[in-house]
Amino acid sequence: MGTIGNLDDPRLPFDYSKREHGNVEPDSKRARFQWVSEVAYKNVHRVVSRGYDTTELVEQGYGLADIIFIDFQARIPLVEEKNMLNYVMILALDDGLSSPAAISRIVSSSQTLLTQAAGASILAFGHAYGAFQPFGEMLDEYLSTAEKEGKSLTEIAEALVETHLNDEFLGVSCLMLKDPAAKRMFARAEKLGVAGKYIAFTREIIKAAQKISQEPVDLDMLGAMGATMMDLGFSPEATWVILAVTRAFAGGAHFCEQTEREPFERFGQRLTPKELYDGPEDRAVPSLEERRRFAAAEQYKTPEEWKKGFDEKKKMKGTGWAIVEDIADPRTMKK
Amino acid sequence: MDREPLLKRKTAISYKTEEETVLRGYNLSDLAEEGYTFCDALFVLFQERLPTENEEKMLEYETAEFLEHSMSPSAAGAIAVISGRPHLPAAIAGAVMTFGSAHGPGAAHGYMMHRYIERARVEGKTIDEMGKILVDEYINAGLPVMGLGQPQHTDGDPRAEPTHIKHEELGISGVYLELQRSIEKHFNEWRKKNGKSFVAVNMIGAGNTALAELGFSPNAAWCIGCVCRGFSCAAHALYNMKKGHAWAASKREPMVQMLDLSMIKYIGPDDRPVPSQEERQEYAKKQKKEGEYKKWAL
Repeated sequence: MGTIGNLDDPRLPFDYSKREHGNVEPDSKRARFQWVSEVAYKNVHRVVSRGYDTTELVEQGYGLADIIFIDFQARIPLVEEKNMLNYVMILALDDGLSSPAAISRIVSSSQTLLTQAAGASILAFGHAYGAFQPFGEMLDEYLSTAEKEGKSLTEIAEALVETHLNDEFLGVSCLMLKDPAAKRMFARAEKLGVAGKYIAFTREIIKAAQKISQEPVDLDMLGAMGATMMDLGFSPEATWVILAVTRAFAGGAHFCEQTEREPFERFGQRLTPKELYDGPEDRAVPSLEERRRFAAAEQYKTPEEWKKGFDEKKKMKGTGWAIVEDIADPRTMKK
Repeated sequence: MDREPLLKRKTAISYKTEEETVLRGYNLSDLAEEGYTFCDALFVLFQERLPTENEEKMLEYETAEFLEHSMSPSAAGAIAVISGRPHLPAAIAGAVMTFGSAHGPGAAHGYMMHRYIERARVEGKTIDEMGKILVDEYINAGLPVMGLGQPQHTDGDPRAEPTHIKHEELGISGVYLELQRSIEKHFNEWRKKNGKSFVAVNMIGAGNTALAELGFSPNAAWCIGCVCRGFSCAAHALYNMKKGHAWAASKREPMVQMLDLSMIKYIGPDDRPVPSQEERQEYAKKQKKEGEYKKWAL
């Protein structure tokens, strides 16, 4: 067979006409693949998490919150810590018809399995709604700076608020000015003796935010749960997923209710009224022959041209050009 | 800030105002302050009631026990998803979504029990008679009897029988446990008669029976089991994210990785030349006519 397409191009990294066929032989030089885990193992007769047989744990009276500590932190929690985790999880269980419930209901309305809807509700937890990871990382970053630079909690809280006052993950906002639940959580943590540096620091953040905010602000549920979970020893990522999974139980209830009370959605059923549309005016579709006259290539040859095109594209909603995601910057990365 | 609900729906589950979040009539913060556990709250969520102490104990036992199961489709799913390094919730969502008709089919088991308990009522049979009918009907139809056997724990899931025993010990047994025990008895009698080995109850048979007895609907019970597993899948994903290699194919690792090229065993059609566009139409006609492709079509 002759050359196929560009597959004889000299810039290719190897000779495409001499590529081998078939499977790669098993690698006998290295150990065979195994599911390596520090978390858990099982054999025919046991399931073991962090060294503890899970059946022995439950027979000894350990419960759900205990096993979460064991799985994530490889330790048995103090009774006060277990009680505090139960407290946080109760508050995390439900939030009315917010994103996780809405996602679960939308998925349910297609007549899916419950696990699809409950699983999908977990996806609602991002870096704004349920932003426990950025919240925790922010606390860690500033606390580490305070330690290195010998600054007080008050000083670094002020610096933090100056940068993050309007961020969704600050943990201080106008959301819970009338609901005491978040403040009660901190009080309970202090009463149980499990409050530590994260709650102390968050209290300073509240004060700093209240000083400079134009509107009344106070501790919100993100800040209360985030700081409490971190004082219980959970990492920002662990906090994020534990609370996301906790909410998914309610996602399951919303699946049930949606299925019980609402009709299923049909493919093509929903209309989008033109009043909601603000894209290009209606226009005739050119024939394929006419395309040459209509279609214009959009490649840029210089950074200036690129910038101009970039800014133009940002005006088109739904194309993704106006979204800026923060990615790691090697110039500021620590080794 | 827009604080309107995302969906306008009548709901009997909860409401949230600027002052409080209320689940089935109970202020969530008050529930926590009174010292109720998360398992108590699950009763409120799915049954609009606070459980007795023994009911709460049974749910603690079961969720704690079910939470971690090392490598099952759910944990493997979480690890596979996180190997691409998306946000963590994607891995956990994927893990929860692995639960279906084979991995933890809790809802189906629940509906099976409902059907046969109802038939016992309507047909005037005892629960034990109905257990035998269930086993016979499933076997005759070539269907697996749900709640029995586990591919890894071949001598019986170590968690299952203790769950039955705890179920009895806490004094919460009723028709569900009676039916499940009957299914186990008649299934194994049939196996013995046919020269087959004993098959023990699994965690669906034991755990789901207990959840049903606690008053959870088939889907609520399924939700509790599957979502609870999400916690441990999160730990597995997090471990792999923090201490494993992304992509799971590194040649530098001393152990062959999950996605190493040598882990792929292809058994599909032999390698064959790609026809040119000029040859395509004739080639495609011939291929369709010969029909060998049907052997591979999915």
